[in-house]
Amino acid sequence: MAHETEHTSHHPSFNQYVLIAIVLFAITIVEFVLIWDTARIVDHLGPSKIPLLVALSAVKFAIVIMYYMHLKFDNRLLGAVFIAGLALAFLVGMALIALFVGFEGNPRDYAEARALPYAEHAEETVGGESTETNHETDTPPVAAGPVAIAVSAAGETLAFDISSISADSGSEVTLTLDNPSANNAHNLVIVTAGTKDAVAADGTAAGPANDWVSPGDSRVIAHTALAGPGASANVTFEAPSPGTYQFVCTFPGHNFTMFGDFIVK
Amino acid sequence: MAHAVEQEYTTTGLNHRKLLMWVFLGSDCLFFASLIATYMVYRGQSLVGPYPNDIIDVPVTTISTFVLLMSSFAMVQALAATNADNRKATINWLLATALLGSIFIGFQIVEFNTFKNEGLTLGGNLFGASFFTLTGFHGAHVTLGIIWLLALAILGMKGRINSKTALDVELCGLYWHFVDIVWIVIFTLLYLIAGFDVGPVAIPGG
Repeated sequence: MAHETEHTSHHPSFNQYVLIAIVLFAITIVEFVLIWDTARIVDHLGPSKIPLLVALSAVKFAIVIMYYMHLKFDNRLLGAVFIAGLALAFLVGMALIALFVGFEGNPRDYAEARALPYAEHAEETVGGESTETNHETDTPPVAAGPVAIAVSAAGETLAFDISSISADSGSEVTLTLDNPSANNAHNLVIVTAGTKDAVAADGTAAGPANDWVSPGDSRVIAHTALAGPGASANVTFEAPSPGTYQFVCTFPGHNFTMFGDFIVK
Repeated sequence: MAHAVEQEYTTTGLNHRKLLMWVFLGSDCLFFASLIATYMVYRGQSLVGPYPNDIIDVPVTTISTFVLLMSSFAMVQALAATNADNRKATINWLLATALLGSIFIGFQIVEFNTFKNEGLTLGGNLFGASFFTLTGFHGAHVTLGIIWLLALAILGMKGRINSKTALDVELCGLYWHFVDIVWIVIFTLLYLIAGFDVGPVAIPGG
């Protein structure tokens, strides 16, 4: 049949296939040498090696689909179907990455910082007691002026009972930590974003005499004393400049599960 | 007869099964692109270790990548042998492809175990979640391909694979090579480029 003869006659020969395999192998070796520490190329090229690596893998990708998958010799429609899928896949990937990079970190923070009340909901509340009643139940409490915030450990679980607290910048905040646990001791430390584990690690080194907080740690905004089982502790401080901070328990090991966001507006 | 199916009416001149396989591969690109993009979005966002640089072993994975590339070579030989009606060579090349694929999976099982022992889990941090989901789904694709290859080898032993039914081998080959090219992308992005990430990094513009 015409279909089959056309097929076999256009396929590469055994030697050509061996050559292709050698080329693929050689490219892989080049890629490896590019990033291998002892070859030192990694230092010379720096970040410019990334486009190089992407280009090399694209060459491998193309060789496999052209020769091993016969797209070079097969009907163009088959290639079109695959390339269409590949192009869509690339767009989906780029869209996902762009979406998240555009969020400047955390999509939730991004949304909260830019949230506007929905017009219809706002009209419903006009004429009521307050126009500021459109707080959703899971919106963190917002406060102006002197403010008291209570945070509690979640029983015997190594977690706080709230994942997010907030206050206005410059307001005087009194944070109270209640510890209902029968066994565990906890503290509450306000730290700059992303530093909770590093602060906790240094706190572990500082030891119980310092309430598990390294004295003079510049990442620490404020911290309570250690609250033993059944006890409570509090601290008063001025809310820092607007941004997202973290609160965390720095008792050794607790920082991995016992933390939340402190949002200053 | 199976052969008669290949002569069915078609407006494109293309075999329907083959076209369908390419459509499937095109859509599978979307599946993997989503998982790869998710990995890249969460790259450097893990708050706790282990981080890639702590556990990723690039030299070992370079060897398993080589093994998978060689399996693609064995696969094209299996198809060539099928077209040449060389039954013994067909079976041997199919089994060789399946064996190389199994070695790749063996590397992945050892890798996953080592990572688990060093503290990387699906629920431990974003790196673990996105890494295991992506490479795990790729491993599942390879495993499915191995089962397909072994089934073809058994059909070959029964004398059911020859130049007239070569499309059966060709379709398996397309799937196999696709799994190989997906790995080419994963190896470059997750191992060569992101494999040395040491901890939380600032994302561009963030």
